[in-house]
Amino acid sequence: MGRYVIRRLIQAIPVLLGATLLIFVIVFALPGDPIAALFGDKRPDPAVAEVLREQYHLNDPLLLQYWYYISGVLFRGDFGVNFADVPVSQLMAGKFQVTLNLAVTALVMEAVIGVGLGLFAALRRGKASDTMILAATLLLISVPTLVTGFVLQLVLGVKLKQWTGADIFPVAGVFAGWRSYLLPGFVLAGLGVAYLTRLTRTSLVETLRADFIRTATAKGLSRRRVIGRHGLRNALIPMVTYLGADLGNLMGGAVITETIFNLPGIGNQLFQSVYLREQPVVVGIVTVLVLIYILANLVVDMLYAVLDPRIRYE
Amino acid sequence: MRVTKGAQIVAGTALLALAVAACGGGASDGGGTAAGGSETPVRMEIGEPQELLVPQNTTETEGSEVLAAVFSPLVGYDENKQPVEEAAESITTSDSKVWTIKLKPGYTWHDGTPVTAEDYKRAWDFAAYQDNAMSSSYFFGRVDGYNDVHPGEGKTPTAKEMKGLKVVDDNTLEVTLSAPFSQFKTMLGYTAFYPLPKSAFGPDGKVTQEYGEKPIGQGLFKLDKPYKKGTDQTIELSVYDKFTGAKPKNWTKLQFKVYTSSETAYNDLQAENLDIHDSLPASAIAGAKAALGDRYHDEPDASVGYIGVPLKYNPEFNNPDIRKAISMAIDRKTITETVFSGTRAPADDFINPAIPGYRQGACDACTYNPAEAKKLYESAKGPKTLELGYNADGGHKEWIEAVANNLRANLGIEVSPKPFEKFQGILDALDAKEYKGLFRMGWSIDYPSPENYLTPIFGTGAIETGSNYGGYSNKEFDALVAKGDQATDPAEGLKFYQQADDILIKELPYIPVYFYRSNFGNSTKVKNVKLNLLNQVEWADIEKA
Repeated sequence: MGRYVIRRLIQAIPVLLGATLLIFVIVFALPGDPIAALFGDKRPDPAVAEVLREQYHLNDPLLLQYWYYISGVLFRGDFGVNFADVPVSQLMAGKFQVTLNLAVTALVMEAVIGVGLGLFAALRRGKASDTMILAATLLLISVPTLVTGFVLQLVLGVKLKQWTGADIFPVAGVFAGWRSYLLPGFVLAGLGVAYLTRLTRTSLVETLRADFIRTATAKGLSRRRVIGRHGLRNALIPMVTYLGADLGNLMGGAVITETIFNLPGIGNQLFQSVYLREQPVVVGIVTVLVLIYILANLVVDMLYAVLDPRIRYE
Repeated sequence: MRVTKGAQIVAGTALLALAVAACGGGASDGGGTAAGGSETPVRMEIGEPQELLVPQNTTETEGSEVLAAVFSPLVGYDENKQPVEEAAESITTSDSKVWTIKLKPGYTWHDGTPVTAEDYKRAWDFAAYQDNAMSSSYFFGRVDGYNDVHPGEGKTPTAKEMKGLKVVDDNTLEVTLSAPFSQFKTMLGYTAFYPLPKSAFGPDGKVTQEYGEKPIGQGLFKLDKPYKKGTDQTIELSVYDKFTGAKPKNWTKLQFKVYTSSETAYNDLQAENLDIHDSLPASAIAGAKAALGDRYHDEPDASVGYIGVPLKYNPEFNNPDIRKAISMAIDRKTITETVFSGTRAPADDFINPAIPGYRQGACDACTYNPAEAKKLYESAKGPKTLELGYNADGGHKEWIEAVANNLRANLGIEVSPKPFEKFQGILDALDAKEYKGLFRMGWSIDYPSPENYLTPIFGTGAIETGSNYGGYSNKEFDALVAKGDQATDPAEGLKFYQQADDILIKELPYIPVYFYRSNFGNSTKVKNVKLNLLNQVEWADIEKA
C-alpha cells in the first residue's frame, strides 16, 4: 500500500509540470496587453509601459519567460509576484484558506443532506415522499447558483437582519467566523446535494436488490443492520467517488458564490487574474488545484480499499 | 486619470451582470444598533486597490479613496469648485509659470516628524523619473526638466531630478513650469502631488513594499496595521491625534471594506453592515431610492461618455455636418433614463456640470432632432454603414445598442455595434488600420479644471502622448487653449477655455452622449455624507447618528 502511494505521487510530478507549462502558454496566448490592462481606458505612457514590460520579462520569448518562472519555483520556492508586486505565495495562502473553509462546509452539507435524503428516498421508493424528493432535487439542479445565491442573501441575510436586528447569516465577507460560510456553503452545496441524493438513492436501491442483502435478511439480521452494514457500505463507493471529485470542483469553481458573498477565495482570485493576465498567479493557483485533485483522487482510491476489502493495491 | 475603476470591482460586477435587477425594493426600517465597548468604525465600500498604496503609483479610484484619507492634499476645493489651500499656506504666481508653494506649518507625518518642502520635491522627482515606472508620471509633464528625467520610450534619462523643482527653505517649494499654466494650482489636489516621507524609501532609492502596505501620510487618518493586499478584506484606520486640520466631531475609527461586487455591497448597506457605498449598481438604483429615502444621494460626477470619431483614420467623417447629424439622431434623454436608470444625465456641453465653465445647453447639436438629423445626413452624404466599437468588459453594450437603434431608425442606415475585449483593443485596431468605425470613449478628470476636458482629449499635442485617440487637430483650438493656459486671472482663463469649447461644439470631434452622476447611499448610522470634486468622501464633515 505504501509503495502504491509513493508511485502515485511520483506519477503526479510530470502531471504538475505539464499543467504549469500548459496554463502558462494558455495565459500567454490570451489576446491583449496585460500592461495596458492595468491602465484601464487610458493609453499608458509608452515609456512607463516599456519599463514595466521589461520588469516583468514580458518582452522575452515564451519559453524564457516560463524558465524564469519555473526556475524560481523549483530552486527558490518563489512563486513570483503579480502586477502589483504582491508575492503570489502570500496571495494564495490567504485565499486558499477561505476557499478550503467554504469547500469543506459545502462538502459536509452535501454529504449529510445528500446521503440523508437519498437514504430516505431509497427506503421509500415509489411513495409520495420519494417522488417529492426527486422533484425537489430536479428543481435544485435547474436553478442556477446565481439565483439561489442572490435570493438567499436577500432573504436570509438582508431581510432577516432588518426584521430581527440579529446578524444570523452575514450578508458578505468573512468577519463572523464559521457563520460566514453557512449561507455560501449551502448555496455551493445545492447542486451537489441534488446529485448526491439521486446517486445515493439509485445506488442503494440497486444494492438492496442484490443477493447478499437477501441472504443477510434471511439470516435474520435486523433491518437497521442490513441497510447500514451491508446495503449502505456497498452502495457508498460511487458516492465517495463523487465527493472526492467534487472537492476539486468546489475549490476551483466557486467563483460566482464567492463573488456574491464577497468571500476572498481562490475562484474569485483566479477569475480576476485571468482577466488581468497575471500569469504567475494563474499558474500558481491552477497548479495547487491540480495537486488537490490528485490528492483527492488518491484518498478516494484508498477509501475504496477500506470500504471494500476485496480491493487491494500493490 | 481615474477612468479606471479598480479592475476587481469591474470584473466582479461584470460577472454578476447577468442578475440585473435582482435586488432592491421593500422599505427598510433601520435594523439593529451595534453595541459593544470599543468604537464601531465608520465603514466604507471600496474595490480592491489595484496597486500597493503609493500615491505616485495610484491612478485608479479605489486606492485613491484610501490615500485621500491618509494624506492631506495641498489644495482642496470649495463650494464654488475653486481650489483652496489645505496643506499649503499659500500658492502664488505672478506669471503662471513660476509658482511658489508655502506649506502650512504644523503638519507632521504619522511618525511625528515634521513635513518639509523636501518631502514634496522627493516624491515628485520619484514619480517623474522614467525608470520608476510610476503610473502618475505624466502629471509632472508640465514641470520644467520633465523631459530630462522622462525622455520617452527607448531613451535614457539624463537627470534624476527635475530642474524646475527648487526647495527654497523648509516650508517653501518653488515650481517652474516649462510653459505658463494657469490651472496648475487646481492640479495640486490630486493624489500624485502628495508628499512622501524620507522613510518611504529603501536603500535602492525605491519606495519599499513595507511602505506600500502601511503608508505613512500627513493627513487625517493613519493606518492601524499594514494592509496585506489580496489577504485582508478591510483597511483599518484611526484619526491621527496631531493632525491640525478639521477632524470629525464624534468618531475616530474608519474602516474600508473591500468588495468585488457592488451588488453585494448594496445588500450589506441595506443590512447596515456598511455605512457608505459610493458606487451603487445601476440595477439597484430604482430600489435604492425607495429603500434608502433621503440616505440616497445623486450628484453630478465630472466624467463624460462620448462616441469617438476616428478623424485621423477615416476621411469619411471629415465633414462636420455628418458628425452633427449623428449627434442629433441620438435620443440622449431616453437612453439616460431607461438604459442607465437615471444614473447618467444627457450631455449638452463638452465641459461637465460639476466643473466651473459648464454652460447648460451649449451644444445645439446635442438636442434630439431626428427630422433635421436625417436631412443633414443625406445632404452631407454620410456613409451608408456605420460601426460602433465598444469594450465588452465595462457594461457599455446596452447603451451602444441603444445608440445604434437610434441611428438606424433616424438616419435610415446600417449600424453594427462591434465589441472589443478591452478598450485598449479598439485603439490597437485603429492603429493597425483594422478598424475605422466610431468608438465608445469615456473621460474622467485628472483635476477639476475645464482645461482637462480640452487639451488631453482634443489638443494636437495629445495625439502622441495624451488621450487624443481620434486624432483631432485644430490650430485655432490649440491657440485658444494656450491663451487660457497663459492667463494670470482665472476668469480670463475660463473665457478662453469656453471659446475653445465653442470650437468643439461647432466641429464635434467627438459626440458627447452623457454626463456621469454619482449615486451613493449611506446607512442610518452616519449623516452628512458628502463627496468632493474628486469624488472622495469629506470625512471631517461626517457625523455619527
